[in-house]
Amino acid sequence: MSRPDFTVEVFQNEFLPDGGREVNAIVTVTAPDPDPTAAAASLGGGSSRAEIIIIDCLGSMDYPRAKIAQARAATAAAIDVIRDGVTFAVVAGTDVARPAFPLDGSLAVASPASRDAAKRVVADLRPAGGTAMGSWLRLAGQMFSFSPAALRHAILLTDGRNEHESPQQLTEALSGCEGAFSCDCRGVGTDWEVAELRRIATALLGSVDIVADPAGLAADFESMMRTAMGKQVADVALRVWTPQHAELRFVKQVAPTVDDLTTRRARSGPQAGDYPTGAWGGGESRDYHVCVQVTPAGVGQEMLAARVSLVAGSEVLGQGLVRAVWTDDEALSTRINANVAHYTGQAELAQAIQDGLEARKHGDEDLATAKLGRAVALAEQSGNEETAKLLAKVVDVLDAATGTVRLKKKVDDADEMALDTRSTKTVRTRK
Amino acid sequence: MTADPPAESCACPSCGQPVWPSDNFCEACRAELSTALVSGGGANGPQACLSCPGAPVTPEGYCESCGRKLPSGTDHCELDLGVLAGVTDRGRRHSRNEDAMAIATARSPVGQAAIAVVCDGVSTSARPDEAAQAAARAAARVLLTAARADSNVAEASRQAFGAAQRALLAMADGGWRVGAPSATFVSAVLTGSEVTVCWLGDSRAYWLDPSGAGTRQLTSDDSVAQALVSEGLMSPAEALASPAGHVVTGWIGADLSEAEPHVIAFAPDGPGAVLLCSDGLWNYAQAAADLAGLALPGALTDPLGTAAALIAFANEAGGADNITAVLARFPPGPPVPPADPQPWTKETADEPA
Repeated sequence: MSRPDFTVEVFQNEFLPDGGREVNAIVTVTAPDPDPTAAAASLGGGSSRAEIIIIDCLGSMDYPRAKIAQARAATAAAIDVIRDGVTFAVVAGTDVARPAFPLDGSLAVASPASRDAAKRVVADLRPAGGTAMGSWLRLAGQMFSFSPAALRHAILLTDGRNEHESPQQLTEALSGCEGAFSCDCRGVGTDWEVAELRRIATALLGSVDIVADPAGLAADFESMMRTAMGKQVADVALRVWTPQHAELRFVKQVAPTVDDLTTRRARSGPQAGDYPTGAWGGGESRDYHVCVQVTPAGVGQEMLAARVSLVAGSEVLGQGLVRAVWTDDEALSTRINANVAHYTGQAELAQAIQDGLEARKHGDEDLATAKLGRAVALAEQSGNEETAKLLAKVVDVLDAATGTVRLKKKVDDADEMALDTRSTKTVRTRK
Repeated sequence: MTADPPAESCACPSCGQPVWPSDNFCEACRAELSTALVSGGGANGPQACLSCPGAPVTPEGYCESCGRKLPSGTDHCELDLGVLAGVTDRGRRHSRNEDAMAIATARSPVGQAAIAVVCDGVSTSARPDEAAQAAARAAARVLLTAARADSNVAEASRQAFGAAQRALLAMADGGWRVGAPSATFVSAVLTGSEVTVCWLGDSRAYWLDPSGAGTRQLTSDDSVAQALVSEGLMSPAEALASPAGHVVTGWIGADLSEAEPHVIAFAPDGPGAVLLCSDGLWNYAQAAADLAGLALPGALTDPLGTAAALIAFANEAGGADNITAVLARFPPGPPVPPADPQPWTKETADEPA
């Protein structure tokens, strides 16, 4: 049985001037609409999904006392959303990881009874010392490895830094987990490290966000779990073919968030490489920016600069063609595609925010002002209102259009971390 | 291709039974009778990339190794019937070939005839490449049928023009709007005694005389440039360099359905050749004498090789437009089988229009 096709749309100006080499295209990929029967058939029903919730039981979770209570409530809310038949588990993390439910490290089949049992265990979780996220992920990976489920997803919740293992240990754990499951990460409060959680989320194809107020945690967990339950196709890769002697400059996801995939290429043929995109929900749509440098052909010639396909295993789910046509008509070759321009700006926006915050951290106020000012201008131009709001909590905006800003003397840690974690969120030009 | 219909009225060359001028097969022995060749159309493109031997070709026509778009059947096409041959080429600046040509030979009760049609799709119209092909194909059918029957050639030329006109009308799908599929038109029919040329637009016919004296342009462009020259406002060079110089004022297409073609006929004094070409060639050699210098004496003995040389000349000069050149020897002698078959499509002849 063949799956419904993914739609692949290519937005580009294919015209290059004589001798032109660089081809840019925005590729919009949209998964087929949710179809309960097809999803169940292609994935073999509920048992094709496995979920693990990893909850930090670090001592600091005890202070303020409300935090651990909120974390328990959030975990319970997420458990409530797990559909009957899906296999799941809860891992309690400290300086070691231990299975909290089921206690034997297996995955339970979701049912009203098993969900209640899990929630009772979670309600009794007590704070204890230590944070070693690598060991938590390794345990989750082991538990998933015994599951036949195609869609394997975890939620990791922490409120602290990865203090009880070396960065090297985390790196090793991540390379062991890459491709085995996806993981959304959430940081509660302001004592955790944005870069650390972003590393985990990026490697494991998940999202990262701050939950500054623990009261919002339950709603966030529930929504994450609903998204996970909506995933239809697992382990999809973006396959990019390029002509001989061409250089693939970069492959970036640019919507809903900026994520540079360039270095994550796995060779899949003599002129093709695969970039992991994880699991796709019904109707889910993402945009990619592909930039290829080709060997110029003569005016009037046409070349296939890249073929972008979506593949799951050996199955091609959809494909789009990026073309190059050389012309001596300047009116054609100088046109800049609006989508390419927009996402080039969004990627620059994310980078400017991260560079600006980094400079601010190191006390380089001039650079921080310049970078965050540029970010304000880009957010204004592109209509990225969410990012503009976050920026306004870190800088005083004197003139948004020109990006004239002043660093705020006093910035709430939570606001700075929110800007950092959400800097990669983009807005789309269409729809 | 199989042999032509017999000289003795209309008899099948295989079995000698009589055949009708419009027949494409002999009713008695099922032998195939001569048909018109039309450039492009169908899967005539190369099946492999010239730079990457052995590399597969994608369904969209790109080389799976170097990514280059392979030329389609219309990008470069050579047709050869011995006494006449034509070459059409995309040129160096356009991404597709919107020129088309059709050639045919026929035996009538009075001897051999050669038929050629060149059409240049108007690039501001819809589907100009298909329009040019459809027009050339439709016209060649009518001319072939008429030549087999030795009908009045001037009248047949007008009917052929009308058939091309109807083909584009059908393509326009009832739309009479500006920008409906349209093309220029020039046809030539060479019999043992006469050359008949019919045209509308700026594709041209030339008479190339080996003695030099009779060499001349047979057509007069329906273009803004020609109008400026005719009114004495500009020299030909100035007119063609003017911004609207290449704008055609006559064409076939649904948006100009009342258009009437020009028809001329003349009896050459001696042997020579007729050249039909699109502006992609004559842009680089306006004067008939210059074209004759390039095409003679080759056109008399090797029409295909000479047409190819004309295309090469235009490409070397810049190849700014699509280029088509058809050369027909006068008088049309017995056909020589093509030595090196090139991509072409077989066309069947119609009932007389």
